[in-house]
Amino acid sequence: MTNSVTLNESTGADRQGRSMPRWLWLLSGYLIAFVLVALIWEGSKAIFEIPDYKLPHLAQIAEAFVRPTPKGPVWLVLLQDAAYTAFEALVGFTLGSVTGFAIAVLFQRYLPLRRGFLPYVIASQTVPIIAIAPMIVVGMGRLGAPPWLSKSIIAAYLTFFPVVINVLRGLESVDRDALLLMRSYAATDNQIFRLLRLPASVPYLFTALKISATASIIGAIIGELPVGSTRGIGVQIVVGSQYNTFNPGFLWATIIMAALLGMAAYALVALAEKRIVKWKREE
Amino acid sequence: MSVVEIVPGPKPSIWQRPWVAPLIVFVAVVGLWEALVLIFQPPVFLLPPPSLIWQSLAGQFGALMSYGFNTFLEAVGGFVIGCSLGLVVAMFVARSPRLSELLLPFAVASNSVPIVAMAPIAIVWFGIGPGSKIAIVAVMCFFPTMVSAVRGLTAASPDAIALMRSYAATDWQIFSKLRVPTSLPFVFNAFKICTAVSMIGAIVAEFFGGAVNYLGIYIKTQASILKTPDAWAAILVACFYGLFFYFVIALLERWLMPWRRMP
Repeated sequence: MTNSVTLNESTGADRQGRSMPRWLWLLSGYLIAFVLVALIWEGSKAIFEIPDYKLPHLAQIAEAFVRPTPKGPVWLVLLQDAAYTAFEALVGFTLGSVTGFAIAVLFQRYLPLRRGFLPYVIASQTVPIIAIAPMIVVGMGRLGAPPWLSKSIIAAYLTFFPVVINVLRGLESVDRDALLLMRSYAATDNQIFRLLRLPASVPYLFTALKISATASIIGAIIGELPVGSTRGIGVQIVVGSQYNTFNPGFLWATIIMAALLGMAAYALVALAEKRIVKWKREE
Repeated sequence: MSVVEIVPGPKPSIWQRPWVAPLIVFVAVVGLWEALVLIFQPPVFLLPPPSLIWQSLAGQFGALMSYGFNTFLEAVGGFVIGCSLGLVVAMFVARSPRLSELLLPFAVASNSVPIVAMAPIAIVWFGIGPGSKIAIVAVMCFFPTMVSAVRGLTAASPDAIALMRSYAATDWQIFSKLRVPTSLPFVFNAFKICTAVSMIGAIVAEFFGGAVNYLGIYIKTQASILKTPDAWAAILVACFYGLFFYFVIALLERWLMPWRRMP
């Protein structure tokens, strides 16, 4: 499979007859895109006289990142907050994907369970379950639980649902012929599970994990919004929005940091997928 | 339907109807929840019993539905703006393979950006009212729609295009009779994702601030003053509007793609 993919890519490049290597071509494209965005940004600011609090100069955002504070430069402080949020999200992500996987296996094994519960798991994808975030934060805060735990729980349940749905789909995605073959060799249910269903579910698992990586970060950030949280990038976003009029640039800096955090989480899972799933079919 | 009935076989018992098991689970979960709350008496703000949530829902049903409708309108507004922009941009991008190769990675990467974190900036731009929420929802709907539409518009088989060309079909004919119908399943897939995204976006954007007669702010306020049953009732209303939105789009899909109705 890996061979055929690289083959396709090379033929693709040949067909389009480029002399530049693909990465260089893409990189120059991105650079041009960045310059264009910067030009439009500063240009529209100058032409429409957009005030700083609405659209700060790009230099102001850069300056906001390097400005010194008692706890070190702003970028370092934001990085520490982002790391804290990442920790909350990671705990929830792990918890949610492990339980999600286990539930999917149960659903695959026991049809009545699946019949009864799966409709709700699927429906959960069309309803805003994230709305219960404030209640979890406030409720657990009153109970005296450590502040990161409520954020982790939000991240966990946002991770849980996509993992259940996708892993179940993966466990069921096994080739009918392969299943019949294993049965004809008198393979036990456990063997079929271990040798056939489990490997088949891994690509589907990663599809879910990629969705959940971002969702868990978002969940942790949302969990940091209610009053009472003291650490995390979500707290910094709230602080940034409160001081935006006096300190334009900082709000953007916090949001850029949140965006980078989300992208990093996604990239890590995508990287793991690339290393682990080598037999995946083309989507 | 009549095709199904021709096949002879034992009549399925009532237990095999698709809605029976979920109903049993619903009754069991609600009953167990109520019973556990009665036995262990956890603080109401932590886990209110279903009966209390029901009371709260029934007691202010009209108000909650109108809050929900306000939030729903934000979601629909953002959905319409974001999805239309996504479709229009996709039509241009899909025409050029180079452009889509350059732009699609950005659009896909934007999926991993917590867009809703930009709500404070939207509030600065469009005010604390519905405008900022609509803007956030629009941005959240734009990217999935665009990505799916580009994939759909470029999914037509080369053979089919070659065939139409050999019959001297114009570009417009190829677009309207081949590319658009091919893209519909992709586009509706994105639309369905966007219905959920738009309700989530509207509610979460409201967590950052706004007027009290919207669901997100209502949930946040009631949670912070420990009126948890009210917040749960509001979430039920949010779920209702979310499902309603989803089914409207699913109906639209059935109506626009009659060839897909048969399994």
